[in-house]
Amino acid sequence: MDAKPPAHDPLTRRQFLGNGARLLAMTGLGAAAGALASRASGAGWVWQIDPAKCLHCGNCATQCVLEQSAVKCVHAYAVCGYCQLCTGFFWPEPNQLTTAAENQVCPTAAIRRRYVEDPYYQYSIDETLCIGCAKCVEGCTRFGNGSLFLQVRHDRCLHCNECAIARTCPGEAFRRVPAGQPYLLKTTSR
Amino acid sequence: MPRRLKLTGALGMLLLAALMICAEQRFPPPDFESGYHLPAPSTPAPRQEWLQYADTGVLLAGLGAAAWLIYAKRSRRGLFWLSVFSLAYFGFYRKGCICPIGAPQNIAYALFNPGYAVPVTTLVFCFAPIVAALLAGRAFCGGVCPHGALQDLVLIKPVTVPLWLEEALGTIPWLFLGAGLICAGTGAGFLICRYDPLVPIFRLSGGTFILTAGAVFLLAGMFVGRPYCRFLCPYGGLLRLASLASKWRVRVTPDTCTQCRLCEQSCPFGAMREPAPPAAQAKWLGTQRRRLGWLLALLPVLMAVGAWSGSKLSPAAAQLDPAVALAERYTLQQSHPVQYGVMTPESLSLQRAAMDAKAVLTAAADARHRFELACWLFGGWAGLVIGLKLIAVSVRPARSDYEPDRGACMACGRCFMACPNERVRLGLMPAAEDPAPS
Amino acid sequence: MNTSALYRALALTAWIAGAFSLLVGGILVYEHVEAATRDPWKSPQMLALMEKLAAEPKNEALQNEIRQLDLKVRRDFRRRLALDKSGGWLLLGGALVLALAAGNAAALSKAPPLPQPKSDAAGQSLRLASHARWSLAGVGLVVAGSLLIARLGNPSLLPASEAGWQKLAVQPDATPAPAEDVPVRSEFETNWPRFRGWDGSGAVAWDLKGTPGVLWQCAVPAPGHSSPVVWGDRVFISGGKADRREVFCYNAASGGLLWRRAIENVPGSPSKAGDIPEDTGYAAPTMATDGQRVYAMFGNGDLGALNLDGTVAWTKYLGPFKNSYGYAASLAVWGNNLVAQMDSGDTRAEGSKLISLQGASGRVMWERSRPVPASWATPIVVEAAGRRQVITLANPWIIAYALEGGQELWRAQLLENEVVPSPVFAGGLIFALSPGSKLMALRPDGAGDVSKSHMAWASEENVPDIASPVANGEFVFTVTSGGEATCFEARGGKKDWETNLDMEVQSSPALMGGRLLILGGKGALVTLEAGRECRELGRIQLPDKFTASPAFANGRIYLRGATNLYCLGPAEAQTAKPR
Repeated sequence: MDAKPPAHDPLTRRQFLGNGARLLAMTGLGAAAGALASRASGAGWVWQIDPAKCLHCGNCATQCVLEQSAVKCVHAYAVCGYCQLCTGFFWPEPNQLTTAAENQVCPTAAIRRRYVEDPYYQYSIDETLCIGCAKCVEGCTRFGNGSLFLQVRHDRCLHCNECAIARTCPGEAFRRVPAGQPYLLKTTSR
Repeated sequence: MPRRLKLTGALGMLLLAALMICAEQRFPPPDFESGYHLPAPSTPAPRQEWLQYADTGVLLAGLGAAAWLIYAKRSRRGLFWLSVFSLAYFGFYRKGCICPIGAPQNIAYALFNPGYAVPVTTLVFCFAPIVAALLAGRAFCGGVCPHGALQDLVLIKPVTVPLWLEEALGTIPWLFLGAGLICAGTGAGFLICRYDPLVPIFRLSGGTFILTAGAVFLLAGMFVGRPYCRFLCPYGGLLRLASLASKWRVRVTPDTCTQCRLCEQSCPFGAMREPAPPAAQAKWLGTQRRRLGWLLALLPVLMAVGAWSGSKLSPAAAQLDPAVALAERYTLQQSHPVQYGVMTPESLSLQRAAMDAKAVLTAAADARHRFELACWLFGGWAGLVIGLKLIAVSVRPARSDYEPDRGACMACGRCFMACPNERVRLGLMPAAEDPAPS
Repeated sequence: MNTSALYRALALTAWIAGAFSLLVGGILVYEHVEAATRDPWKSPQMLALMEKLAAEPKNEALQNEIRQLDLKVRRDFRRRLALDKSGGWLLLGGALVLALAAGNAAALSKAPPLPQPKSDAAGQSLRLASHARWSLAGVGLVVAGSLLIARLGNPSLLPASEAGWQKLAVQPDATPAPAEDVPVRSEFETNWPRFRGWDGSGAVAWDLKGTPGVLWQCAVPAPGHSSPVVWGDRVFISGGKADRREVFCYNAASGGLLWRRAIENVPGSPSKAGDIPEDTGYAAPTMATDGQRVYAMFGNGDLGALNLDGTVAWTKYLGPFKNSYGYAASLAVWGNNLVAQMDSGDTRAEGSKLISLQGASGRVMWERSRPVPASWATPIVVEAAGRRQVITLANPWIIAYALEGGQELWRAQLLENEVVPSPVFAGGLIFALSPGSKLMALRPDGAGDVSKSHMAWASEENVPDIASPVANGEFVFTVTSGGEATCFEARGGKKDWETNLDMEVQSSPALMGGRLLILGGKGALVTLEAGRECRELGRIQLPDKFTASPAFANGRIYLRGATNLYCLGPAEAQTAKPR
């Protein structure tokens, strides 16, 4: 019954103001976007721990927004001494050099100890068990070569805009790194 | 001979380098005889770059689809399913990050910190919904935002929020926006991300406080339409402003409004506006004009008072900055030492501060200065928000039809089916006959 | 109310889903709260079991108990993670079903809109606007009030004004004092700046001619076991009781009291200290000085730094110490760094630590936790193997730390029992006593755990339990509490001679040139030849009881007795009768 409103209304004052506001807004946004895009990075940033600044305080295990922290221990095999008495694996004075619970530092038994040849043993981390508590990192860095260190694992990390662990890190070890080079691995002892 | 010398020299250098590296290590690298190969540490890559661009593609497609569904198809059902898809994709798959709600913080951070470059995807996420709002109103809120979609799903029986409460609570998103941008710009952190109650639900993990807050919002959302969107979302304020100037308006009726009033209660978000009542009586008009005059004059006063109050906040607000917080704790420790356990995070950070107290105090001083300016701005902003809201409440735009308020309309499409003309358009009702007597 | 079958079905679904969500939610909340109170990784039960195991390492039943507990903890942890994950999804599903069912039921039962006539639309809208304005005014007040509360609730300790920041910037900071103020190494060597001398060796190269005689003596007003320290023309002593702890400064030449200063009102120090055993008292740790200030540590944890003129530079509270015999380790000093060994507790996990403080300000430069219970030995700072090492002794570890930064350099698990004697470094070897068990010589050039690799020699003969050894490059001398003095070859550890002086000895022996001095508890000062053969060179009797060790500086010997401070020198210098 009713015809639709005529296709072309004469331009009312309100519409003119609206057009003007829109134009202004678009220009402003465009300028801001352009200014920022000129130094924009492509792939974006991800969070990572600088092992040189890490104080192995244990916050990584408790502060992540995920229930199982995205931070896990990583082993730089090239730096490892493959010692029989690994101070990252064993307590400083272990009862015996076996994998029994009372001798191990790791609370979740995430480190696997495998005999290689005399007197060398390989220590590797099982990431499904590691909680990122840094006890092994503390032992290895203090008395050993420092080949165990914590890193954010990017297959687990949610890449939050503001990392909850980074906020509470006492060593300020977290920083944004380009997503193309997302790891800060240790290659030497210090 | 020269070649041999060079070789020896090279070997010598290698040996020296190896010795230097060995000299660093307490336990020298082993000499394996059994042919053991050193494994390399695994480095699982983050999400591939092209997927980030795919996200922006989905965002843009979603915005386009929402606009089409609102204006061309006028389909509530379509919008519903689009919002379910957005909840699944942007909410549970992408875990709600990165999202347009927090992206303005990245922009603010980048503007004042030359060391940080905003990724292109973040720029798109920040600006695309605003551009869409300039064209198509709050299409983002209606069809694409996962926070809104979740709240829409749990809405059971909407209750009307009285205007005074709506206006009062409606200041919170603006204040939150101001606080969030200020903290981001000064580098203190991203408050909007920290206090988002619905993202921990997408992640299915989080601290007790924020998960409880999320549950409270959802429980409230069963009876109050979109409480987060209306009373907390800082980005919603920006979208409100943008959609006030939008090219296309959401119309309840597909053609002319017959003033049947059937759509009055159809908006669960309190966005439906009535046509202006018959020409206001003269006695009211004069009062209203005078009041408006006073309110306009009050605006700069409110801004000034706000700015002054805000500046008083700066020593407390600056403690949001981690450098200032550390300096405060360090200073407290000097006069009232607390025994933290050895090697606990608290004692480690205090130790680090003690080693270079000058740097810590300098950083804190810088952050305090930044916050002084920022708090002036925040106070003035708060005054501006309250002043403008007072004016907005006192101004009544001339309306001839029942239509949603441009800024408040969430473009959800619930009001379409309330209009008889819409039902006629869809063929659900026969057209009204001409009532002219024959 | 719509009572159709569909509505009833939806309503029922909603109720069931609601109950289900509530149940799952309740379980998650309960388990969350429970887990928050019990941190599985810090279980006190496990700690207690590990301590028991350390005492009885071969107890198989104990080992099994630990393993069972560990397995349980890990299983519970995994179960909780799985529960949270599945619980989260279930809760979400239940909530969604509830929302959808209830939403659809509500939609079904919604009454069609029946707009009623509005009488006073204009007036009503004006009233609403007026209410809204007042509520906005209220919001303004609430915001202002919240800002005020936020300001009051978060007082800032940092300066408020530019002037305040400037003042803060001018205060002494971590940069070291200007070079010309730090005494050079030779000044440290000629004075006696800490327990057993600048390097803790208890030895000086010069010698007095003939038997020393008392040049002066003066009363020490407050009791203590701390030894004197000497810098330039001043001798410093600490002493005190529960009500007052002081530092005394005497003229080294004449024995006159120059000043006395109480260390009091130390921030953080409780007005009533914990139980300080009477035998040890408050002033067992010996003071230290770096030539610019003197530092005194007391058994309740008060550490005071005084300028050489007696004014207080700074004070710090480092306690409380949990020490069965009372805290007794003395301060070590090197340059303008102080090192304090703060071992406490009966077990190895009670917060023992080694800290390094900046002398000028008292700022803690670094601290390291130590896996040891309480000990009473004083650390020494030595330059060995190209590094400045802080050597510490406690049961069971000898640990060496880098002086700058505090990183552990090496450690050896070689000690037993209650470690009281301090280490010495001479002739490139570190000599350490494991009380009642061994005298050991270690090479200080190791890294990591050197328990098996760096012990040069060990001897089990006549091992003292209180007095520290003394060594020059050739010989090592020990004295037991019963007075048996023994001489070993420094290289190789062969015992050259032993003799029984038949007196109670608590002070540590000292070497003065080629003479070994041993101070008996009842006042006999015996001099022996520090050579391959045992020869007593002289003996003088002082009318006092002695537990503190001698200090040597500028050709004088200073002894602190229970009542008096004595200065001994060459007999020719005895001009007047002792006062």
